[in-house]
Amino acid sequence: MRKYRLIFSLAFQNEFIYRLNFVLWRFRNVLRVLLAFFLWSVVFTGRDTAFGYTRPQMLGYVLFVLVIQTLVMSAPSNDNVGGEIANGDLSNYLLKPVSYLKFWFTRDLASKLLNILFSVGEIVLLWLLLRPEIYLSFHPVSLLLGLLLWISGVLIYFFLTKIAVFAAFWTPENTWGFMFVILVFMEVLSGAIFPLDVLPGWVQSALQFTPFPYLIYYPIGIFVDRFSHAHALRLLAQSLIWLGISIWLSLRVWRAGLKNYSATGR
Amino acid sequence: MKILKIIYLYFLNSLQIHLASPVVFVMFFLSKIFRFGLFIVFLYFLGSSLVSVGDYSVSQLLLFYLIFNLVDTAAQMLFREVYRFRPLIISGGFDLVLTKPFPTLLRVLVGGPDFIDLGILLVLLAVIAYTLAVHVRPDPVSLLIFILLLINSLILAAAFHIFVLGFGILTLSVDHLVMIYRDFTALMRIPVDFFPGTLRALLTFVVPVGIMFTFPAKALLALLDWPLIFIALSLGLLALFLSLRFWNFALKHYQSASS
Repeated sequence: MRKYRLIFSLAFQNEFIYRLNFVLWRFRNVLRVLLAFFLWSVVFTGRDTAFGYTRPQMLGYVLFVLVIQTLVMSAPSNDNVGGEIANGDLSNYLLKPVSYLKFWFTRDLASKLLNILFSVGEIVLLWLLLRPEIYLSFHPVSLLLGLLLWISGVLIYFFLTKIAVFAAFWTPENTWGFMFVILVFMEVLSGAIFPLDVLPGWVQSALQFTPFPYLIYYPIGIFVDRFSHAHALRLLAQSLIWLGISIWLSLRVWRAGLKNYSATGR
Repeated sequence: MKILKIIYLYFLNSLQIHLASPVVFVMFFLSKIFRFGLFIVFLYFLGSSLVSVGDYSVSQLLLFYLIFNLVDTAAQMLFREVYRFRPLIISGGFDLVLTKPFPTLLRVLVGGPDFIDLGILLVLLAVIAYTLAVHVRPDPVSLLIFILLLINSLILAAAFHIFVLGFGILTLSVDHLVMIYRDFTALMRIPVDFFPGTLRALLTFVVPVGIMFTFPAKALLALLDWPLIFIALSLGLLALFLSLRFWNFALKHYQSASS
C-alpha cells in the first residue's frame, strides 16, 4: 500500500509540470458545459417542466456533469497504456514489484483528485457568473446511493477503457481506433451531453443493459432526485454487476494479452 | 497549376496513408457517424416533444446542426495537417519544408487532408441536399448567399488555423489552441442566438464562430439582414489578411532552434 501512496504523491506532483496545459484543459471543460447550459436555458424559457425535469433539476444536471464527468473520465492511463504496450515499455513495469493495473489506477486517481478540485472551483465560478437556480437532493440516502454509484462508475470506466486499450497486445497500430470507438460510445450514451430521459422509453430501457449510463446519467439522476430510493438501489446493484463483468473481462484480456506480448522493439 | 498538382499529390499521399490502416479508417468513420447521428436523434426528440426551442422549430434546429457539421468537417478535413505541425517544429523538420520550392504555408496548412472526414462530408452533403430539397426549399438568392457565407466560413477557419501555425512557430504550442478552437466551434451546434447578449456578441464578432456556423444556416432560412451579411464577409477577409500578416511575422522570427 505504501508504494502506491508514493506513486500517488509523485503522480500528483507530476500533474503540476504542465500547468498551462492543465488550465487550458479545464477551460475547455467549462466551454463544454456552457453549450448544454444555454441550450436548456432556452428550452425552459416559458416552461416550468420538460421531459419530467424542473428547470433547477435540469440546470443542476448540466452543472453536475462537470464534476461527475471529471472524476469518472479523467484518466491519463488511456493515453499511455496502449503506447507502453506497443513500444515494449511495458517490460519495465513487469520487472518491478508493482501491479501494472494498480500503478495506472493510482496515477489516474491523482489526476482525478486535481481535476475534481478544479471542477468544484469552476462550478462555484459558473454559479456566481450565471446565478442559476439548481437542485441537489440533500436526503442522506440519495447522497449515499449517488456517491456509491459514482464510485462504481469510476471503476467501470477504468476497466472498460483498459479492455479497449489492451487491443495493443494484438494490433498495436489499431489501438487508438478501438479507444476512439469506446470513448465515443461513452461520450454520447453516458448522459454527458444530454440526460438520457430525452430519448424514448424503449431506448432508455435498452441502455440500462449497457454499462454507459452508469458512468454519468444514473449518478446525477440520483443526486437530482430523478429516481426513487428503491429504483436507485436497483441501479446500484446493476452497476455493481457491470463492475464485476468489466473487472473479470479486463483481467482475462490482460492475461491473454501478456501471453501474446513479445516486447517488440526491445 | 504546378501548385495545384502538388496539392493533389499531397492528397493522394494522405489517402494512401489512410488506406494502409483500413480497420482504423472504418472504426473512426463509423464512430463519427454514430456521434453525429445520435446528436441528430437528441435534437429530433427534443424538438418533437417541445414543438419549438427558442424561436426555432425542430427542422430548423436540425438544419443548424447539419450546417455546423458541414463547416466543421470540411475545415477538419482540409486543415488536418495543422494538428501535426508541432512535431515538425520541435524536430527541426520544418527547415526541410522551408527549403523546398513550394509555398510553406500551403504545405503546413493543407498538406495532409483527412479522408475519414471526407467520407463523413459526403454523407453530410447528401443529407443536406435532401433536407434543402424536401424541407427548406430556399429561394435562389438565399442559396447564393448561403454559398458565399459557406466560403466565408472556410476562409475564417483557414485564418484561424494560420494563426495557430504562427503561434506554433513562436511558442511551440499548437495542440491546446486548436482544441480550444474546436471547443468554441462545438458551442455552435446550437444557434448563436441561444446565448445571452454579451456572450452572443463575443461569439459572433470577437471569436467569430457564430458567423462561421450560424450565419450560413440563417441565410438559407432567409433570416439574415444585408448589413450582417456584409459584416460577415468583411470580417472573413480581415481575419485572413491579419492571419497572413501574423504568419509572415512569425516566420521572420523562426529560429530553427531544434535543427
